[in-house]
Amino acid sequence: MTQHYLLRNLDVEGIDRIDVYEANGGYAAMKEAFKTFKPEELVAMVKKSGLRGRGGAGFPTGMKWGFLPNDGRSRYLVVNSDEAEPGTFKDRELIEENPHQLIEGIIISSYATQASEAYIYCRGEFRRGAEQLKRAVQEAYDHGYLGANILGTGFSLELKVYRGAGAYICGEESALLESLEGKRGNPRLKPPFPAVAGLYGGPTVVNNVETICNLPPLVTYGADWYTSMGTEKSPGLKIMSVSGRVQRPGNYEIPLGTPLRSLIEDYAGGLLPGRTVKAVIPGGSSVPLLMPDQLDTPLDYESIVKAGSMLGSGGCIVLDDQVCMVGATARLVKFYREESCGKCTPCREGTYWMTDVLDRLEMGMGEAHDMEILADVADNIAGKCFCPLGDASLGVLVSALKHFRHEFEAHVAEHTCPMGARLYDTVNH
Amino acid sequence: MIRLTIDGQEITVPEGTMIVDAAAKLGVDVPIYCYHQALGPLGACRMCLVEVEKMPKLATACTTAVSEGMVVRSKGPAVDKGRRGVLEFLLINHPLDCPVCDKGGECYLQDYTFEYGPGGGRFQEPKIQKVKDGPINEFVLVDQERCVLCQRCVRFMGEYVGEGQLLLEGRGVETVVTTVDQVPATSQFTGNVIDLCPVGALLSAPYHHKGRPWNIEREESVCPHCPVGCTSKVTAREGHVIRMEGRPIPDREWGWLCDRGRFGYDFGYHPERLLASRVQGNETSAALATRQVGEWLKTTVEQHGGSSVGVIVGGMHTTEEAYQLKRFATEVIGTEKLAISRSEAGYLPRALNGTFEDIKKADTVLLLGTDPYDAVPVVHLKLRERLLRYPALKVIGIGPTALTRDTLPGQDVITAPEQSAVVMALAMATQRPDDAQVKTLIHDLGSFRPQGVLPEMLTQLGAQLLRADHLVCLWDGLEPAMGMVLAVLADLREKPTPMLPTFGPGNWRGWERGGFSAHFEDLTRILEEARDGVIKTLLVFGADLLEEYPDRSLVQAAFERLDHVVVEGLRPPVDSTQVDALLPGAGWAEVYGTYINMEARLQVAMASVQPPGQARPVKTYLNTWAHILGRPLNWEEDWDPFDDDSGDLLPIETRHVEIEPLTTPPTTDAGMTLVIGSLIWEKGEPSEILLPRVPEFPGRINPQEAEELGLGTEPGRISVSQGDTHLVVGVSLDSRIPVGVLWIPQGVLGVNRLGKGPVQLSLAKEEVTA
Repeated sequence: MTQHYLLRNLDVEGIDRIDVYEANGGYAAMKEAFKTFKPEELVAMVKKSGLRGRGGAGFPTGMKWGFLPNDGRSRYLVVNSDEAEPGTFKDRELIEENPHQLIEGIIISSYATQASEAYIYCRGEFRRGAEQLKRAVQEAYDHGYLGANILGTGFSLELKVYRGAGAYICGEESALLESLEGKRGNPRLKPPFPAVAGLYGGPTVVNNVETICNLPPLVTYGADWYTSMGTEKSPGLKIMSVSGRVQRPGNYEIPLGTPLRSLIEDYAGGLLPGRTVKAVIPGGSSVPLLMPDQLDTPLDYESIVKAGSMLGSGGCIVLDDQVCMVGATARLVKFYREESCGKCTPCREGTYWMTDVLDRLEMGMGEAHDMEILADVADNIAGKCFCPLGDASLGVLVSALKHFRHEFEAHVAEHTCPMGARLYDTVNH
Repeated sequence: MIRLTIDGQEITVPEGTMIVDAAAKLGVDVPIYCYHQALGPLGACRMCLVEVEKMPKLATACTTAVSEGMVVRSKGPAVDKGRRGVLEFLLINHPLDCPVCDKGGECYLQDYTFEYGPGGGRFQEPKIQKVKDGPINEFVLVDQERCVLCQRCVRFMGEYVGEGQLLLEGRGVETVVTTVDQVPATSQFTGNVIDLCPVGALLSAPYHHKGRPWNIEREESVCPHCPVGCTSKVTAREGHVIRMEGRPIPDREWGWLCDRGRFGYDFGYHPERLLASRVQGNETSAALATRQVGEWLKTTVEQHGGSSVGVIVGGMHTTEEAYQLKRFATEVIGTEKLAISRSEAGYLPRALNGTFEDIKKADTVLLLGTDPYDAVPVVHLKLRERLLRYPALKVIGIGPTALTRDTLPGQDVITAPEQSAVVMALAMATQRPDDAQVKTLIHDLGSFRPQGVLPEMLTQLGAQLLRADHLVCLWDGLEPAMGMVLAVLADLREKPTPMLPTFGPGNWRGWERGGFSAHFEDLTRILEEARDGVIKTLLVFGADLLEEYPDRSLVQAAFERLDHVVVEGLRPPVDSTQVDALLPGAGWAEVYGTYINMEARLQVAMASVQPPGQARPVKTYLNTWAHILGRPLNWEEDWDPFDDDSGDLLPIETRHVEIEPLTTPPTTDAGMTLVIGSLIWEKGEPSEILLPRVPEFPGRINPQEAEELGLGTEPGRISVSQGDTHLVVGVSLDSRIPVGVLWIPQGVLGVNRLGKGPVQLSLAKEEVTA
């Protein structure tokens, strides 16, 4: 077990208050950044650290910042706190329990990117998180850490918290910007990318909460410290949200490259006695399953891709031998059917179709050709959608059809769920 | 320029072109739903999938810009499967009610399914049920089940028109197109979404279940209601006009229509349509009535000479009909007293006329008294498009009310009524005080300073007028002196100064081409000669002079004095007590002919249907009369209004505009001044389809004025008085109208009973109606 950085101090009483946060070393990194670094030095440090976006895509953060054009237009920093991927709940804990860490990270990031306005786009359902953030932002303003001419540095930053209306698609950065502008949360055509034409057409950096929270320790300990952890291409720490059939579900901060087995057994307490792993969704509901023989896969971006899945947002869902894979797949695909924005045809109609077929299969009303239909519908969605949501809906389905086809066939043959799953709760949700 | 290969054919296109447009140039059909050139790429429907070499996935041809050396394949197994998959998706929740769908037979969902789609469906789950035949407004129905969610309608209304009255509601498969808060859409451009909709989701309410492609005939036409002359198509079934659609012309027109034009096609079937001839108020046969009028003409000519007959043309007559009238008048009657029925006194020489192409290049637009949204709506759309492509577009309104609006923002120079020409001249004088023509213009003005316009505003305006690179002027023609000012402006500027006259009637340029005078003074002279007994018989073709001419009392006096007033038209004049003979005429869509619009562009409208009842073309009447007068006309020599050299534009003549000193405007006293405006809903022939949308309160006053009148904050009826003349008119509240101004559009019945000068307003009593 390694030391926690982003999740440190969570047991400190009142760490969400600015005075307690400061008493525990908070806002020191911000002051250090102002005192010691020029903005471009901070960008260079982030580049050197190899920090990658923690929202799911894993895009190098320093490179993203480097895309901002130097054309004199005022810049925006938008923090993506629209965490809605099933199985992922790290940002929620970060903003609810330790909001000042994020705000400190935002101030440092804005200073580095020379953004004068920053927004936190908070998931609509995160009511407590949004309240915590708003209160903390006010505290930061009261202490002069936000607003005009922060601590006499000449740097000014306005920070606002905006609550979404409850749409998963708004976690996609361009849909988030649309929503933030008060429009319908549909993804935008790219290019232009947000760095060139983002919020209100201005140059914009969109970063995940966890990514931004990495900034204070990065400033404090330096890029070399960061690269000393993790792997060469995936340096540093990552918060993994472990859920499912484990004894101690929760958020765990691990150095990248830690084996999946270690996360499940050492951190999350392993499975219940007598149970065995059936499959693991390693990076949130959008990624393909890893099978029991892949439990030694190191949890870093490259290794998981090599194993046929993705690290994604780090939402690790453990499925044990008592889980009905048809039911689990049906549940996850239904999520995408509910969350499809409706803009593009394959995602809108395909997720609806797959959901209905899966519901039928789970209830034992499936037919032999349903699996072929599912596979072909999935193929007609794959790579043909406007944004990644359509492809995301296929991750679990396609790998479940591949590895657990016998369970689907058993549902058809026995006209019921062989696992004895309750059927009625799947109808018409 | 970028070179690429599509299906083995090489093509060179400008940088930034989308694959779909490059393919279209080669004649390669790439199926599309959401993409429309006027709206730009969206990438929603995924129908236009193509294979691009070196791209890992299929690409959407509508969102992928061409690049050098790109190799595109629009066919092949991967593309076929992708398109088949998208069509199957579009059909799973589609109701497949093609047999009862108006779009059936001309539907892109049918066509593409036939061409690219799966032969059968595999979907066996329940379909999502949504609203069918729900209203967008009085004219447009929405069938949400048939919708493929291409968003063309939503984007057109929101981005292009700038009136976001349509939106997507719900998400995912439950997404529907609807109106904001379920309130009917009130924009003037809603009907265009019917043409834009690629499937049967947005339908014309008046055309609903009236016809299908195989039992209708479509003819190319021109909308006759205003001088824009939008290109359109007329749908007829069994001799009945049942629909009007926009007609796009590549690289020139998108085919937009305003709702007034699109849905006002039923005027030919209006209950007031004149179907039988009337002589002295009594219905009679066409033959008897025609012969009677012929006898009158013969007697008049014999007793008083040919010049005792005047001919006035108006309404929707074609250029050819005006030419026929002119030949009849000069060769048979022997009169040169020919004039066009005008409501505005201004005139614009052909040489100053620009085209809509100029709007596409404009950097500054001058609105002289005219609000294009109200007066010539599709020009407003053209300006909107320019604004979207060129956000720095400067819009300057000059007139007695504000003329810019939210959808076309700019700067307003609000002048006192009748002072716009003087303001323009003074503004030009700030820049070129030594110019001889400018000196002449302002010679008599002395120390006159226009009311409400500060000297620095004049300087700023003058600088903008002279420095703009491409200045387009739109003029309402109400202040005749502006004609001189514009001629001087064009001379002062070295760069292009195209002007577009927004005044009517729609085909005045055509009648001018046919040989009629478009000068207001000539019309006035004819009426004065009639009043003075010089003219004895007046032939009025298509016009309702009592309502159209600004000074009603002159027309009244002329009619009372005339021996014979003969009126031909689609409907009787509102007041026909002085009319001796009423002859039913054939109108738009019933005769083939040419219309010339505000660009001086000639456009042909085909005949779609037979004229009803006794209605007959102008030529029929003229032939009979010519025989009675003993000088039969020989029509064998065909006349073509098109000019060989200038194509579909009128030839440009040299212009002579006499520059005279402007007269000092009278200082208006504090009080209420009547300003006559232009509103498309009050123009042209009456329509039953349009009734629910014809404004009940067409007049406009400032909200503050309404408050003082006791109207409160709601539209209402007021009584307008001037001396002994009283008029009750509905007014709505509009902060763009300055305090002290009552704005009433032309065409509101009886408004020409009121003259220039102050009016008194009071609250109308409840039981009185206009």
